[in-house]
Amino acid sequence: MFKKFRKKSPWILHYNAGSCNGCDIEILACLSPKYDLERFGVINTGNPKQSDIFLVTGPVTMRSRERLVELYTQMPEPKVVIAVGSCTCTGGVFRDMYNVEDGIDRYIPVDVYIPGCAASPELIIDGVVKALDILEKKTKEREKPFRLFKDFTLKDGIVSRRESALRIGDDDAKD
Amino acid sequence: MIEIILILLAPFVGGLLYGFERIVRARMQNRQGPPLLQPFYDMFKLMDKQALMIHPYHTLLGILHFLTLWIVVALVICGANLLYIVFLHLFSSLLLVVAGYSVRSIYSHLGANRELLSIVAYEPLLIALSVAFFILYGSFDIEVIRENKSALLELFPLFLAFLLLLPIKLKKSPFDAAEAHQEIVGGVEIEYSGIFFEFLYMAKWLEYIFVYLLLFLFAGDSLLMASILGVIVFLGINLVDNATARVRIDHLLAIVMGIGLTLAVLNLIGLSYV
Ligand code: SF4
Repeated sequence: MFKKFRKKSPWILHYNAGSCNGCDIEILACLSPKYDLERFGVINTGNPKQSDIFLVTGPVTMRSRERLVELYTQMPEPKVVIAVGSCTCTGGVFRDMYNVEDGIDRYIPVDVYIPGCAASPELIIDGVVKALDILEKKTKEREKPFRLFKDFTLKDGIVSRRESALRIGDDDAKD
Repeated sequence: MIEIILILLAPFVGGLLYGFERIVRARMQNRQGPPLLQPFYDMFKLMDKQALMIHPYHTLLGILHFLTLWIVVALVICGANLLYIVFLHLFSSLLLVVAGYSVRSIYSHLGANRELLSIVAYEPLLIALSVAFFILYGSFDIEVIRENKSALLELFPLFLAFLLLLPIKLKKSPFDAAEAHQEIVGGVEIEYSGIFFEFLYMAKWLEYIFVYLLLFLFAGDSLLMASILGVIVFLGINLVDNATARVRIDHLLAIVMGIGLTLAVLNLIGLSYV
């Protein structure tokens, strides 16, 4: 019944997974007077528990990947993920570097890819509008990230960072 | 009869006010701004979201915060005792603070700390306001205040102090450190989601209604003056909100306690001895 209101009030969570900040500046430009994303009801919340759209920039550095997955699991359904910028989609200029994973879709399911280095504000707005169509069709079934950082058998697939932290840099894992 | 309708409509009027304010703020920044009904769209969307609960008491405290605030607004509309209203409002804010402390998120704790500090800052002003009305009219009843003519001239220093209080209650810069959307991600609101956040969201609208109803007390029985005051304060608050940066919580305390309380005490002394 309330499905059509999803489209009218998308709240955005913006996360920088190690980007060069080029795309972050473009996202902020979208919210500025010239492009004014707020006229679609968009709010940049910064709180995963209250947001619908996950805007990620950056190629996922080793340091940021647990946070990425954690933020993703904290968002309530229905939610969509938008990868902003070439490096978020494929690795872009950072591809095959030793300290990055190539793109966020190794870890979490992505709904909209926005190419461009840096992606222009027009493209980002197009991407958000596209994501809203997808958001309207989604069910409330729980989506899971592809990879987590533990061999868990937990049903909901959520694990706290404190527990998983030791496992990540395999060599100096303490257990 | 009219009171009951007003009381039932209070959250909706608050929502409209909030939506209108977002448009005004956007226009001040030369933007188009969201539609007027945006807060209600947000509300319906939040109902549709999956709700994550931390623990039942946390959610219950959030809902109680909303309900008590609604009772406060109802009492103001009915013209009850101002002192009771101020303390019931304090109770309602404290429920939120307790909710903030009841979860493990540090942002929630920080937000609750700041909320408490801002209560320390503005609560004496509210009490001074009721005492001033008592000195003037010999009664705490809002009904009596509404029957007399405007006391704006006698209470002018207190009115200035009240203007300092407004941004704290409406969570506007420069005095929005308690909520601080970027640094502490909304403070006490952080762990609420879905339909439970909805209650806090609506409580915010009720807070608008409460604060503006208190403002109208300065206008006494004159409706014209109430509307003029309302419009001027509404525009002024938004202008200040757009033009200033957030101050730190200790500065907030220093400014509001220093300037506001001095003005309020001077006014009280003036009222009783001059
Ligand atoms: S896509 Fe290019 S501009 Fe955008 S974050 Fe990546 S490297 Fe920076």
